[in-house]
This record gives sequence, structure tokens and C-alpha cells, in this order.
Amino acid sequence: MTEVLLLGRRAVREVVRYPEATIPTLFIPLFFLAVNIGQVSKTFPSSTTPFLNGQGYVAFQLPVSLMFAVATATSGLALVTEIDNGYFDKLLVAPIRRSSLIFGRLTADLVRGIAASAFVLVAGIALGARIQSGVAGALVIVLLSALFGVAYAGFGILIALRTRNVQATNTSFLLFFPLLFLTPNFVPFDRLSPLMETLARINPVSYVIVGLRSLVIDGWDAGKIGAAVLVIAAMGTVLTALSLRAIATYDR
Amino acid sequence: MNGGAIAAVSLRRDFKGGIEAVRDIDLSVSAGEIFGFLGPNGAGKTTTVRMLCTLLPPTAGTASVAGLDVVRDGAEIRRRIGVALQEIGLDPVQTGRELLELQCGLYGITGQRARSRTEELLELVGLADAADRRTKTYSGGMKRRLDLASALVHSPTVLFLDEPTTGLDPASRLTVWEEVRRINAGGATVFLTTQYLEEADKLCDRVAIIDDGLIVAEGTPEQLKAEMGHDVVSVSLEGADPEETAFALAGLPGLQRVVAEPDALAFYVDDGAGSIPEIVRLLDREGIRVGALTVSRPTLDDVFLKATGRRLEEEGQERELEEAAAR
Repeated sequence: MTEVLLLGRRAVREVVRYPEATIPTLFIPLFFLAVNIGQVSKTFPSSTTPFLNGQGYVAFQLPVSLMFAVATATSGLALVTEIDNGYFDKLLVAPIRRSSLIFGRLTADLVRGIAASAFVLVAGIALGARIQSGVAGALVIVLLSALFGVAYAGFGILIALRTRNVQATNTSFLLFFPLLFLTPNFVPFDRLSPLMETLARINPVSYVIVGLRSLVIDGWDAGKIGAAVLVIAAMGTVLTALSLRAIATYDR
Repeated sequence: MNGGAIAAVSLRRDFKGGIEAVRDIDLSVSAGEIFGFLGPNGAGKTTTVRMLCTLLPPTAGTASVAGLDVVRDGAEIRRRIGVALQEIGLDPVQTGRELLELQCGLYGITGQRARSRTEELLELVGLADAADRRTKTYSGGMKRRLDLASALVHSPTVLFLDEPTTGLDPASRLTVWEEVRRINAGGATVFLTTQYLEEADKLCDRVAIIDDGLIVAEGTPEQLKAEMGHDVVSVSLEGADPEETAFALAGLPGLQRVVAEPDALAFYVDDGAGSIPEIVRLLDREGIRVGALTVSRPTLDDVFLKATGRRLEEEGQERELEEAAAR
């Protein structure tokens, strides 16, 4: 446990000292939030759009921006850079469990995820969103978003360990775009075309967005929140397990 | 496995594409030795070190470090060894102090003990003044020294140094040598790879020469040189015809062989100094005018040449020039 904390603290330090790596990951979600609201809010006025439950469109878009803010390849990139410059070997030759290297990174992802989602949430509130589930709901939103970021980080880590290639790891982030857009990101499920609805209902990320959105717009909906938690837990378990296997068999 | 610090029997590592990086080598390093593993680039030095450090499993054969099997007892070996790999493994974002304190933590040294050990090591490698700067601002020599310090946090019993002085200026090289001697005097066995013959000669108790995955010579530097059983008289040609010159000296008493070098010929003879008058006489008789005549006792380079048919120093120098050009 100590080694996980030591490595986690170092990874957090890395994030703090490389703001140039974090700023773009915060700019993108805010950019999409502003652009999407600007383009669509006249189409969906709060007074005549039932799915907004009386709020502005910003409330509907906020969860999508939260996803953008936390789904980064930062950990994977840091790891592949470390593999590249030889520091990774130094860590592998230390008498620690290899899994600590993964859990250390994920610890930093949790910390960064909390900071990033809190930042985006505050921006959303400043743009007029109200959190129907209250302060406790806002905390749950931040925590679930951060945990989704931790689960998603497994992608980058896995690709870093399997390819040991900076470019491949960098572009792993692009995998997220289809996953994020094949969702009810602009309108609810029932407003999508039949094909899009089918794809969105298959896509697990949809349920994370729907769960977070329910906390913003509807209040507490155990079913939707439960589904989001389930998806995050399943995704986190699978990707972390694959990463652990990848590091256990690294050069073995 | 024997009780030595390092032992390898028929150790082998193949890579994809039929590359035989290390081909069934035997090694035996006694506790307290500084053992030099000498060879050109791509000879298999780093692959051997990685296998001994438990970073890479052998394809075949066995190896033990500190009496423990590299495959079975990897975790226990990692607790006892210190490693500074050829690729300097430093995290550019951390300061020297942070890096060493983290390294202490990974070896179970925490709190005040970690802080004082870090301070001690920073002093030892002369980085106390730069301790709070990020390592990316360090020079090549400083990085090497910090890397060395980070391999020492837990006072390892066996220290692996993979080309610890490659790319360093002569002054930094001397500092590292002093450090290695001091660590060794403290009781640690040192296994160091190098492509510098001078380093192996000056620093190591025993040397093995590896070429193309095979160990081609092994012994103390003195033994290896003595086994050569010859001196070398180098005749710098400065315009003289190499074939004519070699022909003129073909009857030189005690001549073992002649090796062509750039604008020179190296004559391997039983007694270098004693053959000079005869060389001068023979050249004079044929009217051949040459530049300088230089007598040298055998060096490890000659040992390498005899074992492999190539000179190591030239390869090393060429590589350094390429690296300098690349920078």
C-alpha cells in the first residue's frame, strides 16, 4: 500500500508540474460545452422541452463535458514516456509489486479526475445549470466522473504497455470519440433515429451519461445512478485486470 | 548454484526473428569482485545484465545472483541488487532529492531514515547543491551520478552498472570510477559492462570479453595480456607501400603476425624493443622510408583483437563520433 501511495504522489506531482498537459484536457470539455449550448439551446428552449425539466440546455450537456474532462490518455502517456526513457525499468527492478505501478497511476487519475470534474461542474453551474440532487448530488457527480476517468485510464495504460509506443498511446484517446458520440449526448434515447438508438443503448458509456444527467436534471433516480455505477465498475474491473495482466507479463 | 555473487551456466537469450543475443554463456563472479563485462555495441552485454537483474527471463540456462535463482527468486534478488542501466532511468519531473526519497520508499526506507539516506547519497555523488532542481536540468554526468546514487539507497550486496561511463567526459568518468571503487571497498560486488578497455583495465579485478553473444576471453586483465605472449611494433607508413613494407619485414625473428591498420602496420613479435634494430636494418636494406616506430606491450585491445579479429577502440570511437554528430 505504501508503494502505491508513494507512486501515486509522484504521479500527482507530475500532473501539477506539467500544467501544459492538463490545460488542453480541460479546454476541450469547456469548448464543447459552450459550442453545443450556443448551437442547440434555441432548438431546445427550456419552456417547451420536457426532457430539460425546466432547465437550460447546459444542464443536459454538462455530463457529456464531464466525460470529456476525465477521459484522458494522461496516465498511458506518462507510462509510455517512462518506458521510453528507462525509468520504468528502474521501477521494475525495485522490490515492489508490479501492480503498484498500475495502482499508483490510477490513484493519480482519481485525484486528477476529482479536480477536473469539479472544475467543469463549477463552470456548468456558472453557465446556469442547477444540480437537482443538491450538494450531495454534486459530490456524487464529481466522484462518479472521477471514477469513470480511473476506469477509462486503463485503456491508455493497456495500450502503453502493449505497444510501448508514444503515438499509439496518444491516439488511444481518439477511441473515446465514437463511444461518446454513440450516446444520447444531444437528445434522449427516444429522440434518436432507430439505428442510433440501438447503438446508443448497446454503448455502456450512454448509461454513465444518463446516470450523471439524472443527478443534474431529475434529482435522485436509483435505477439510473445504479446503472452508471455498474458500468463504471465493470469497465474499471475489466480494463484494470487487463492492465495488471499486461504488466505482469511485461518482458516475461 | 555455487556460493559466488553471480553465476551463470549456459545462459541464453533469443529474440524474435532468430536473433541470438546471448549464446550459452558461463559466468562466475566472486563476492567482493569488480567484474568487467567488455564488448562492443550489440555484443550481448545489456541482455546479459537484464537477465541477471531479473528484468528479462533467459531463454535457456540458469543464473544465480547472491545465491538466488534469477527465475525463481526474482523478488528476493531485487531486494539485494542495485541497478544502473545503460539508459539512465530518471524521472525528469522530479528533483534529485524527490527521486532519491521515492527510491528509498520503494526499498522500504521511509521517514527520517529516507531523508538522511538521501542527504548522505547526495553528498556522496556531489549533487547536494543541485538536489532541489528537477533532473531534466542536470548535465549528462550529473544524471549518471544521480542514477548511481539511486542504485545505492539500500546498500545493495551486488551492484550492476551497465556502461556507467558511456557518453561522459573524462573528468566525470574518473568520478564514477572513484565511486565504483568506494562502493566496492564497502563490500559490494560490482558487475559492470563497458566498451572502454581502459575502464576494464583500470577498474576491474577480472574481465570477460563478449562478442556476438559469446564469451571469447576471460581472466584478470594481467592474465589476459600475459597470454598474448607478444609485443606490438607499430610501423606508421606515411606514404610507404604497405605490401612492400610487410614483405621486407617478413623474415623478422620472432614475428608472429602482421595486422594492417589505417596508414600503419602492426607487427606482433616476441620481443618488441629487441627487434627494433633488425626492423631498421631490413627497411634500410630495401630502401623503404617509414614514419614512426612504436613499441607497445599488449593491451586489452590486443586481447580483443586476437579473440575477435577486430579492434574495440575504433568501434567505440566511431560510435562516439556518431553520437556527437547526432547531438
